Amino acid sequence: MPNQVVSVLPILLIFVPGATGIIAYFLGRVSIGGRNAAVVLGALVTAAVGGAMLYRMLTLDAVLTAWGEELRVDGLSMVLVLVISLVGLLAVIYSQRYMRHETAIHWRDVTEQRLNTFYCLLMLFIATMLWGVVTNNVIMLYVAVEATTIASGLLVAFYWDRHGLEAGYKYLMLLTVGITFALFGSVLMYASAAPHLGGTGVEALLITHIREVAHLFPRSIVIATSALLIVGFGTKAGIAPFHPWLPDAHAEAPSPVSALLSGVMIKMAIYALARTITVFYPTWPTIGVFLVGLGAFTMVLGIVMAIVQIDLKRLLAYSSVSQMGYILMAFGIGTHLGFYGGIFHLINHAIYKSLLFLCAGAIMYATGIRTIHDLGGLGRRMPITSACFFVGALALSGMPPFNGFMSKITIFLAAAEVHMWWAAGIAIGTGVLTLVVMVHAAYGIFWGKPRTDRLRLEEVHEVPASVWAPMVVLAALCLLLGVYPQLLFPLLERATQFMAPVGHALTAMGP
Amino acid sequence: MYNERLIHTLSLIMIFTSVSAVEARNLRMAAYAYAGQALLICALILAFAQGNSALYWWAGVAFITKALITPWLLLTYVRRTVDREIRGIVGFVPSVIIASVLLVSFYQLTHTYADFLAPTATAAQGVFRTNLAVALTVFLVGLYAILSRRDAIKTVVGLCLLENAVHLSLVSLAPNIRETALVGITTEVVITVYLLLYIISGIYQKFGSTDTYQLSELHW
Repeated sequence: MPNQVVSVLPILLIFVPGATGIIAYFLGRVSIGGRNAAVVLGALVTAAVGGAMLYRMLTLDAVLTAWGEELRVDGLSMVLVLVISLVGLLAVIYSQRYMRHETAIHWRDVTEQRLNTFYCLLMLFIATMLWGVVTNNVIMLYVAVEATTIASGLLVAFYWDRHGLEAGYKYLMLLTVGITFALFGSVLMYASAAPHLGGTGVEALLITHIREVAHLFPRSIVIATSALLIVGFGTKAGIAPFHPWLPDAHAEAPSPVSALLSGVMIKMAIYALARTITVFYPTWPTIGVFLVGLGAFTMVLGIVMAIVQIDLKRLLAYSSVSQMGYILMAFGIGTHLGFYGGIFHLINHAIYKSLLFLCAGAIMYATGIRTIHDLGGLGRRMPITSACFFVGALALSGMPPFNGFMSKITIFLAAAEVHMWWAAGIAIGTGVLTLVVMVHAAYGIFWGKPRTDRLRLEEVHEVPASVWAPMVVLAALCLLLGVYPQLLFPLLERATQFMAPVGHALTAMGP
Repeated sequence: MYNERLIHTLSLIMIFTSVSAVEARNLRMAAYAYAGQALLICALILAFAQGNSALYWWAGVAFITKALITPWLLLTYVRRTVDREIRGIVGFVPSVIIASVLLVSFYQLTHTYADFLAPTATAAQGVFRTNLAVALTVFLVGLYAILSRRDAIKTVVGLCLLENAVHLSLVSLAPNIRETALVGITTEVVITVYLLLYIISGIYQKFGSTDTYQLSELHW
């Protein structure tokens, strides 16, 4: 057991963005500049708190707790905290100029007053996601995940046009039904653990305690609980066949929100799934095999649907579905290498998927067009965006020297290590298809000629600095982590430590 | 300790009101039927409260959120849109027949196999078994409503029924859960219902009706 250190930082981590959101809502009625500054400051402080937590965790080699183990930040939570706070900060900076531009374009529906709601919900969204990853309480995990749906519901429907409203309705409906399944699963877990842990039943809420008694659960309960949790958190994570809300929501939301949804929120959901279901791994390793199969199905479905897309944001959304399949497969493999690859891929995907969505937003900022065949030849007019998009596309496809290569290869190796050749083959095949889709899209948008006359190339300019700066930061990270992945290794080691490896059980099953 | 006859009667009436809430053509009637169902759930929780005094608090929370706030939200938004539900492909009589057949068989199924889902020995016995079976049946009613109704507001009623069922099942599954957790869970459902209704009112403005068949512009 690593040593536990009580710290106020986890509490601050949730409180700062939450308070910023509420303050921003009321401040925006008085001063728009003040509101914008407050939001950026809040996001900066949140990222700083995240950094401080990382520093404390690495120097003290400890797990940070607060509220008597209600909040518990171990290596895995730390990874998610960093991802959420960093991408959150960049999205907030990006939205400053971007949403101001949107008020000019959608002048009837997007007003400065509505931007108050936007920033308030954005900060609350970040706060609830952070809450979800630091909580140790299985019921509060459900509450936090549902809270992220609530916070982002109106953000998805923000443009208040036909498409946005349809996307918002489907988003809220499907995710709420899905998360109710997860509630059932969490309650079953709590109820099964309570009699073994005795006491007033309060201890049974903590996931760390449930892990210790999980081997005592009856088999039927384990089957029911795993199924409910997979349906519940899997819906939120975009796992097929529960993914239909994902393309609509990620495409119709404003681009900074899309970056957060696709880059961060679905990661948080798969984190919740990993936290709860790995409790059963030591005693029932076949759950892992099922997850590998589900991951393979998701992978293939996602990329096949992405191939036929003509809308850039929907294409990126479907590719997110596909990449979540990779992460699920890695978590399903269950060995040390599998978890390592899965968490590594989680970080990498968060970085380059957010990058790609921000680039898509930049393209919409400059041209107002989202369909690939209407675009072409933007490379000359938008050099920075073009370079960032290519970096993101190549990283997504797993090309060296970018970060995607390292994590994908780890997943292939993990599958090969347990002799799951079919899984490795599907993963590699999907990787090839991803390369085809992404390069085709990138070429079609930035080089080549548009197939229709909708684009007025002479009116296209590069986006302003506060819009391309976050993109460049993310692109630089892609390159940095690709060339020096060692930077992440200490954190990844800690993150994989908590998960019980089932490697020996799977290799014993043979080829 | 528990009045078994009372619990069985209340459960039966509650399933009946759930089906009414789903099938009622007039959306106002559906909202009132839902309010009735919520009151019955409070009564059921009170019937279980003899064995667990924390449940009095639960019944109070359920009364305020399910029987007062949610029907009020539903009625407010029905007033802003249309009274009459938009009919889907399944007619009234076939729908009621399908629903009844599904319910009876599902209730029998869950009552017989409640051991599968009951995490503790107490949860598999007597009234708790009935409670679990009833909760799962109402869950199915709610799911059926969401999947088969064409009117968006009706799907929200279905969602509320779904959530009610899960909260009711907590009585057998997690009787010792902290009150704050329950308040958190039920408040979230109320907020989600409010957001859904708000978006549906937006849909009514932009599309002219609450017809979910029209919500198909995003495909593939």
